[in-house]
Amino acid sequence: MMLRLFLSLILAVSFFGSFSAKAETELWGDFSGVTLRVKLIGGGQYEGLYNEVIPWWEENTGGKIEIVTQKNHFELDKEIKKDIASGNLDFCVASNHTSFASQYGNIYTDLNSIMPASVLADYTPLILEHSTVDGRLVQMPRHSDVSNLYYQKSLYEDADNKANFKAKYGYDLTPPETWDQVKDQAIFFSNPPDFYGTQYVGKEEAIAGRFYELVIANGGALFDEDYRPIFNSPAGVEALQWFIDLYNAKAVPDGVLNYLWDDTGLGFASGTIAMNLDWAGWAGFFNDPENSKVAGDIGLVRAPMGSGGLRTGWSGSHSFSMTESCPDKEAAASFLWALTSNKAQMIEARGGLSPTRPAIWDAIIAEKKAEGDDFMLMVFETFKMSLAEDAFTPPLIPEWIEFTNVLYPELQAAILGDKSPEDALATASKKATEIMEDAGYF
Amino acid sequence: MRKFLNGPWVLLMPTLIILTCVVLLPLLLSLWTSFTPFKLTKPDTLYRFVGFRNYERLIGDIDFWIAFGRTVLFLAIALNLELVFGLGIALLINKITYGQRTLRTLMMFPMMFSPILVGFQWKYIFNDNIGLMNNFLREFGVIQPIPWLVDGILANVSIMAAEIWSSTSVFAILLLAGLLGIPKDPIEAAKVDGCNSWQVFKNITLPFLMPFVFIAMTIRSLDVARAYDIVQMMTGGGPAKRTELLWTLISRTGYVDAKMGMANAMSYISIFLSIAFTFFFFYKLVEARQRLSYE
Repeated sequence: MMLRLFLSLILAVSFFGSFSAKAETELWGDFSGVTLRVKLIGGGQYEGLYNEVIPWWEENTGGKIEIVTQKNHFELDKEIKKDIASGNLDFCVASNHTSFASQYGNIYTDLNSIMPASVLADYTPLILEHSTVDGRLVQMPRHSDVSNLYYQKSLYEDADNKANFKAKYGYDLTPPETWDQVKDQAIFFSNPPDFYGTQYVGKEEAIAGRFYELVIANGGALFDEDYRPIFNSPAGVEALQWFIDLYNAKAVPDGVLNYLWDDTGLGFASGTIAMNLDWAGWAGFFNDPENSKVAGDIGLVRAPMGSGGLRTGWSGSHSFSMTESCPDKEAAASFLWALTSNKAQMIEARGGLSPTRPAIWDAIIAEKKAEGDDFMLMVFETFKMSLAEDAFTPPLIPEWIEFTNVLYPELQAAILGDKSPEDALATASKKATEIMEDAGYF
Repeated sequence: MRKFLNGPWVLLMPTLIILTCVVLLPLLLSLWTSFTPFKLTKPDTLYRFVGFRNYERLIGDIDFWIAFGRTVLFLAIALNLELVFGLGIALLINKITYGQRTLRTLMMFPMMFSPILVGFQWKYIFNDNIGLMNNFLREFGVIQPIPWLVDGILANVSIMAAEIWSSTSVFAILLLAGLLGIPKDPIEAAKVDGCNSWQVFKNITLPFLMPFVFIAMTIRSLDVARAYDIVQMMTGGGPAKRTELLWTLISRTGYVDAKMGMANAMSYISIFLSIAFTFFFFYKLVEARQRLSYE
């Protein structure tokens, strides 16, 4: 579909301070009198973008943005499901996520027919592929997420730690390369209740995702080609046993099964955790002396490998989508572009988030090099490598969240000792089979 | 027709129309959805009738019945403890002659907090790592942190503590209103006849108070589902379903899994629980009032 109102579809070079990113296709237009109703993910980490981009877009197009909803992603997900059920899709743009997008059916527009190819060419092709559901590009990627392992450097530089660890485990104490080494080192460093070797998110989609990536790293899989569950396997049991062993050894806090992302992030910043597998967005927070007791003492390595020789790399992208019911699709397309443009991605990259445009990777790395910010340079180089080589998405199926809701209570039951890992995975597998059968996969 | 238009039905019509729109139609719609595989994300499924399939699945679903049983136990323990504490507070406040109004206002403070806020507060209090409770116990030599929100029994006790803190004042206010309405003559007569305080309380105060007790119980048994927010904030029904109540299960099934048909089937089964509690308390209320009028 050709867009009528795009007045300028030009190649321009955008400047970010003294550093420039590659030429970018801009998507401006005159949208005077148009008001776009939008539903956005809220929270401190996300809202800075809106404060900069919305006035910028309004100034350049004459359009107006009305934020209808701004709440955390899980609440936003519930709201959009209710909107679908009531048929009340009276908004144009909404925050989305690659793990959630397939649930929403056809409410979002296929952007392949809206966005010019020259605009799409500015994004990483693999991320656009992950943003595609049933052949329809339903989201423009905002930033990508993958986790790597943060650790307290001083623990690894301490001579006593090195000697004692080698005496006990028979190999040198260096930042871990495998998840078995993480387990050894976490147990070694732990001194509960004052200090713990590591921690993990313990409930809902969070622990299901962590289990999933460890199954993959151990050489297993969640489903076969027909979406029959196959995680009740040696790789699955080995993955679950890793969580159990750390819990039983008190190498993670007792309350870890109630932890979500904020709890693990704040826990590492409190200085009571030796190693923490976490997202890129926490890097700046961890190294800020105002917020973190480990600022200036942080190392970062790529996520370790499982027994299958693969690194964990559960990944996904935050994104924005446009509804099919939107009456001003040209304006909405322009706003989607602005929210994920070079300017927008540079703003978020400066906060530590991983861009979805290759040009911004180059620009942010160049900027950090010039500033002599070795820590953020290490962060961006590590995350760039892991996104390129290690990242994989969860199955992009509508049943993903429902599946995680039957999986995580069973994982918790095994970790707490209520069930054996085999029993827990067998029960989860049975329930997952019912979900997939009901959904018509087999 | 003219007779109808001049009759009482005309006067009742506005009420009947509003009740039909606001209560009856939503109830019928939700009942219908419980006979369908309705998913929020697939509106077309609203029109696919599957008979009693959702109910049949629930009958064989052990997780649902465990949550059902835990909810009954939670209601029974929490409501009775709230009654005991509320009665104690009401009796104490009724005794004092100075500052009663101030205390009555202070007593209502917990009711003013939203359940979500109460959940956050108590989650922090019972946090195993940085929580107030474990830090307090540490001062007394309990070095090993207690996993309040992980252990099966302690987690339920913690949630109950938050719920009781939040809602005991409802009982206290209603029972205090009852206490203020009790005539003084029978109490003074009993004291003149030589009854001690316990005998006065047991034979005069309590029978007078029983209708208020059952009214309070009825209101609270219907209102207690507000505790959903507290449970959701503190544990989300976990870990490993150890604190799963019907409210968390239904909410997750309906809104997260988007299986609204199944969630409504769960709700209709759980409505029997509410009806049973309400019927029991109304029966006891009528009985208490009859006994009072005989005496």
